[in-house]
Amino acid sequence: MELIILPVLRFFGVFLLQIFVLNAIEPGFGIHIMVYPLFIAILPFNYNVFSVLTLSFLLGFTIDIFSNTFGLHASAAITMALLRPTLYKYYSPRDGYDNLKQPTILDMGFRWHLMTFGALLLIHHLWFFTLESFRIDEVFVIVKKTILSGGITFVLCFILQYIFFKQEKSR
Amino acid sequence: MRNLIAFLQRFRIFIYFVFLQVIALSFYFSYIAYPKGQFLTSTWAVSGTFLSWQNDFTKFFHLEENNATLQQENIKLRKNQLSNYVKISSELIKKNDTVYKQHYDFIPGSVINSTVTRRNNYFTLNIGSDQGVGVGMGVFSDKGIVGVVYMTSKYFSLVKSVLSENSNVDVEIQPSGLNGLLKWDGQDPQRGSVIGISSDIKLAKNSIVYTRGASGIFPKGIPVGKVEKLIPVEGRPIWNVVVKFSQEYRAIQNVYVIKNLMQEEQKKLESNIPVEDKK
Repeated sequence: MELIILPVLRFFGVFLLQIFVLNAIEPGFGIHIMVYPLFIAILPFNYNVFSVLTLSFLLGFTIDIFSNTFGLHASAAITMALLRPTLYKYYSPRDGYDNLKQPTILDMGFRWHLMTFGALLLIHHLWFFTLESFRIDEVFVIVKKTILSGGITFVLCFILQYIFFKQEKSR
Repeated sequence: MRNLIAFLQRFRIFIYFVFLQVIALSFYFSYIAYPKGQFLTSTWAVSGTFLSWQNDFTKFFHLEENNATLQQENIKLRKNQLSNYVKISSELIKKNDTVYKQHYDFIPGSVINSTVTRRNNYFTLNIGSDQGVGVGMGVFSDKGIVGVVYMTSKYFSLVKSVLSENSNVDVEIQPSGLNGLLKWDGQDPQRGSVIGISSDIKLAKNSIVYTRGASGIFPKGIPVGKVEKLIPVEGRPIWNVVVKFSQEYRAIQNVYVIKNLMQEEQKKLESNIPVEDKK
């Protein structure tokens, strides 16, 4: 039950936050804060790749509809979703993941979170900004945008997780 | 056959990924090149309604500012009214009705959704084809130009702002009257650049840039911004004129859509230019 309801609530939460709050905030320097990768990253460990891909595509596309990006968010979201299992497998603990735990910073620790979510965010942002510009002479701008936006998004996601999640009691 | 199935089994995730990616990217690139319909953008009835709810809520934050700008504009217009003038000579009577013919019509609207930090930025307006908005019409605010209508639906329309890659508005720099094209490099939402001005001409700082009104999208003389500095383009005898926009695009609220009543006539006349002369 929790496996279905919680992701649905989070889907709408992330969607509303992105559309009505973060899209309206434009700090300049080409920074675009995108918080929805957090939703993809914290889907439970035991979801299979197909459902992760489908959910990412749906989330990306609904955000596209509201921010006039015509499929750009969807494309970046599924790229991130494809690489998620690979990264999670690479950084998995010795005896595998505990299904009761969630892939959040509270359950998995800061180092693990930085390595997986940080890398996924960079890939997502790089893909997004590259496709958006699609010009070789704007490489430095793309890198600048990726690093600045990625940094701010990471900090925001860090705060959001401490507000909205609680640590799974270790047995 | 068995190999094929094994192959599909092995790469099924990647194949599904490619399938989704093709949908997203084909949608993206086809829309960037040419807008097909209003479905699945912010002009779509469902998303447009949501965004106008949001606007209904947030517009109150700017109410005071907007009232002030409207008041200023009213004063400006009132000054031009005929009743405001004293007749000096009793013999001359100015009759507007027959000498002047209306060239432009303006439709008021407000921005319900906007971006400024992307490579190509769009604004969603709360007026659509039912209010007379059509694709290709110019949009401006009381402070300066905004963009060109890119797509319309029944009650909403999408404006491609001057903050995008191929905005190419015809502008002229006053008082010298030089003209060029307005471009945006995708970085600073407060500054654009005018290209096509020969570097042997000196330009004063703070000269004002207006629209030229050549293509019939914008009337002549809508402000664009002020010249901030001149950067020589490497290897070519032209200036890259940096312009600071007079309209702050982050805080844009009320706009006017320009309906050119003589657009057809101008287009018809200009279509007579032979093809080889257009190059």
